[in-house]
Amino acid sequence: MKKENDNGKPRHRYGMVIDLDKCTGCGTCMIACAAENNVSVRPDQSDKERAITWMRLYKITNGKEFPDTEVSYFPRPCMHCDHHPPCVSVCVATATKLDFNTGIVSQIYTRCIGCRYCQAACPYGARYFNWWDAYFPKDKGLDRYLSPEVSPRMRGVVEKCTFCHHRLMRAKEQAYAEGRREIEEHEYQTACTEACPVQAITFGDLNNPDHKVSKLVKHPFTFRLLERLGTEPKVYYYSSRDWVRKLGDNFLPGEYKPVLHKTWMQEEWSTKPGRDTY
Amino acid sequence: MKLTRRNFIASVVGGAVGIQITPLPWKFTDDVAIWTQNWPWVPVPPSGEFSEVSSVCTLCPGGCGISVRKVEERAVKIEGRTDYPVNPGGICPLGMGGLQLLYDESLRFTGPMKRVGMRGSGEFQRITWREALDIAGARIAALRKEGRPEAVAAVDGNGEGTTASLLIQRLMQAVGSPNYVRPASLSDTYRMGNILMQGRDAPIAYDLENSDLIVSFGCGLLEGWGAPGRVLNAWGMWHEGNPAKRKVKIVQVESRASNTASKADYWVAAKPGTEGALALGLAHVIIRSGRYDAGFLAEHAFGFDDWQSRDGVVHTGFKTLVLKNYAPEQVSRITGVRPDAIVKLAGMFMDAKSPIAIYGKGKNELNGSLYEFMAVQSLNALAGRINRVGGVLLPDPLPLNPLPHFECDEIAAKGLEKPRLDRAGTKAYPFSHSLIHKFAEAINGSRKSPIDTLLVFSANPAFTLPDGGAFETALKKIPFVISFSPYRDETANMADLILPDCVYLEKVDDIIWPVGLQYPLYGLSKPVVDPIYDTRNCGDTIINLSKAIGKSVGAAFPWKHFTDVLKERAKGLYDAGGGLVRFNPAAPPWVAKGAGSKTGFKSFDDMWKKLEAGGMWYRPAEQQRDWSWLFKTPSGKFEFYSQRIEQAIRSGSTKEMRITVQGDEACMAHYEAPAQDPDRTAYPLTLFPYEMINLASGWIPSPPFLYKTIFDTQLLKDTSFAAIHPGTAGQYGLKQGDLVSVESPAGAVKVRVDLFEGAMPGRVYMPLGFGHTGYDEFLKGKGANPNAIVRAGEDPVSGYPVWWTTPVKLVKA
Repeated sequence: MKKENDNGKPRHRYGMVIDLDKCTGCGTCMIACAAENNVSVRPDQSDKERAITWMRLYKITNGKEFPDTEVSYFPRPCMHCDHHPPCVSVCVATATKLDFNTGIVSQIYTRCIGCRYCQAACPYGARYFNWWDAYFPKDKGLDRYLSPEVSPRMRGVVEKCTFCHHRLMRAKEQAYAEGRREIEEHEYQTACTEACPVQAITFGDLNNPDHKVSKLVKHPFTFRLLERLGTEPKVYYYSSRDWVRKLGDNFLPGEYKPVLHKTWMQEEWSTKPGRDTY
Repeated sequence: MKLTRRNFIASVVGGAVGIQITPLPWKFTDDVAIWTQNWPWVPVPPSGEFSEVSSVCTLCPGGCGISVRKVEERAVKIEGRTDYPVNPGGICPLGMGGLQLLYDESLRFTGPMKRVGMRGSGEFQRITWREALDIAGARIAALRKEGRPEAVAAVDGNGEGTTASLLIQRLMQAVGSPNYVRPASLSDTYRMGNILMQGRDAPIAYDLENSDLIVSFGCGLLEGWGAPGRVLNAWGMWHEGNPAKRKVKIVQVESRASNTASKADYWVAAKPGTEGALALGLAHVIIRSGRYDAGFLAEHAFGFDDWQSRDGVVHTGFKTLVLKNYAPEQVSRITGVRPDAIVKLAGMFMDAKSPIAIYGKGKNELNGSLYEFMAVQSLNALAGRINRVGGVLLPDPLPLNPLPHFECDEIAAKGLEKPRLDRAGTKAYPFSHSLIHKFAEAINGSRKSPIDTLLVFSANPAFTLPDGGAFETALKKIPFVISFSPYRDETANMADLILPDCVYLEKVDDIIWPVGLQYPLYGLSKPVVDPIYDTRNCGDTIINLSKAIGKSVGAAFPWKHFTDVLKERAKGLYDAGGGLVRFNPAAPPWVAKGAGSKTGFKSFDDMWKKLEAGGMWYRPAEQQRDWSWLFKTPSGKFEFYSQRIEQAIRSGSTKEMRITVQGDEACMAHYEAPAQDPDRTAYPLTLFPYEMINLASGWIPSPPFLYKTIFDTQLLKDTSFAAIHPGTAGQYGLKQGDLVSVESPAGAVKVRVDLFEGAMPGRVYMPLGFGHTGYDEFLKGKGANPNAIVRAGEDPVSGYPVWWTTPVKLVKA
């Protein structure tokens, strides 16, 4: 795709690389996300089809017998697909759109008519429907921690991860006030990126060769979820474990090709008995 | 107009065409969207000026640096601080959700209250602070007048050495009661092991950041062990860069494929309670191969080789004991770990440049076993990993000022002579400071409770103790309970009087040396917002209460505010010289000290001001200290053979101290097989309660946010799950999601079955933190609390509960 917009300005393509070797499955990203984006908590969060989690952890296991079992986690935000996002093409109300200048797939709640077509279309289950209004009962006073930067959602609309778009706005305003037109890498980071206590998430502009993400995506251990659908997600994962990478897509038996890359495989690194060895 | 066929068709077609042309349907669709969305009960958060306040999180003794974003007076988001040495950047999920603890009104007490409903019903009536202090003061004063001040007791869950906990101990002394008890935590096991083997009453300091092989014997590194912010940050550091060139390897010894076990480089699945035997197995291989640190053993260790005491008796040394009893095959039979894996692991330990063996049991909230700690520490000593870079460091405690001495009055002096109800410090429990389960047992065992008034500070013993509900029973018997909790927890619901503390974001408090940290750190939190309800900092309440009890008790508290006490203690930090109050990420405190690090403050007042602003005082780690006077044991050396245990046995007996072995072995690290349980045939399985980082299991409630991170194979509606190996479940004909009753001699709980290959066969794994009966709709009645059915044995010597071996059976519901 073009690297410049119609005004000849550089086009940004914000994306994320999540290091699954580092990820400990602690869930801080989920909570940082919910707290940052005014996602309410209802008394029952165990019905995962109705609980709203823009960032959601999926637990996977390698399926091996004790004591060779291993668990790992996929933190899953919105993938912000770069090529014909399935949700955008089906939206009847033009409530969701791929922003050409940032690569962010937006969601405009007041336009959404709640038909949930996008939710059905999304291959990643990243979209959530508000079956109820945001849950902030008056007598609890939980509305006191709500951030004015993000509007709480009403029932009947779909919502999803926005890559903390308001943080981009904040960074841009700051830059403009200081007479700059472009923002630095560290000025715009999503809430989950900042919160991760093991620094497993790297966020930045995939079009900017100086940003860490654009280097990380070239790594042979980097992959994307359901890559072969051709939606070009801008959220990448990184894992040195073969069984984890294998679960990133639906492979037929024998179809998956393990990563064998000399530069990265010079030394034995996977030492645990029962862990994949090549 | 007559309705003919022609007219009918014309109107239908006309209508259809008309609808296409008119904007009305589209307008209506749009309007429907707008009408259905603008309900007045969707909150509109007020905007205003944004600001950031730096403080320290005190939800756990880990003490991470936090930055709170505020909009005018409202706190709207908590983030980790990058300018704090413990957790440069991130924080844990509990800390991240902290604002719900502040703002969820139904979780909190909004002011002092007295009970009006039945005990446990949680029905209270607001009273004024004056009234509340008068009721509490008069009650304690009356007991003192009767000459039985020992009928007052305190349960204190504040961190060891914190100013709040010192004030509570002082209050008990001034009142005249020896019955000050604390829930047992991992720090207690560390403290005792450190005194017995190294003679040091100082924090345990693991220099993880400089190590290249970390063998964790049961520490839930990713489940919240130590200072979670520090461990997780180190985890990120260890996994930075090319996986082929990673320098640091992590080995996890644990019975379940927990997050740590899965993410570690090696997972060694030893049975719960046999971690010590495994450490001794490694020691065996190392001794046999001769690759131990002979220099350290000769210069600084006692009891390694066979030795002769002054009376001419020849004693068995650690070497002989380990060579005799802990060969890989023998250890394999105890632990269930393959002999070749033990040999391989020992080889790794010998080959590593700076290996370290660390001991723990999940998080820090529950205690460990003393002999297990000793076994792991013996392994460190054998490899010469004590007082070395990347090993176990031997720092001095924080140089805080002690509180000034005061004179007890006559009543108090008499009361303090009475024996402790829990028998801690007696011949049976010579090294324990307090034993809360014995305390509950003593109350439950007497016809009338010997305790009349119980004060509960920062603790929820009715929920958190692995005692099969014994404390809850004791609470029912105690005539009067005063809770200082800010939250409507299970213990507070049983209270008669509430003197609510502020929530952590509203108060000033201190953090004394986060668990396991290798450098001295004093953290100071400050109020991020003004108290939003009529609550008071517990430190201030204690000072006020002392005055309400009477003049002579009040005289022990010559301060006006809690802050004065904090300041007085912190003066010691200044007087000791050195120390930093600002963190430079380029020079982390675990890196060997650069020449002459500038303190950055001129006077004590200057230091205090900067300490309040930055929330920290710390010193870079002293990696290798001068050996002389380092070990304050009777031998002046590291003691494989603890002479303090020997003395204790001599004045008591091994039987009293629940040690099953005899002779020299009892004074050294060894494996104690659990007593043969007669219930084993009726209860063939073993319960292991496990902890998670995304669920609070201590006295702090889980912020409701945490429930978003709980999988539906951990909690479904109101039922939590027990993880069971598919093979074990198969024997009972159980499938995924089946309802079962987990029954032990202490009781039964209902759970669903989660089939998990990573669970050790024959074990039942239940998460700690579910099953609350207190708090509000978010937490109440969700899942089951395994503590309710734990039947804990007593750890030899220490007497702390052995909560990891409850026999259970499964009954299909």
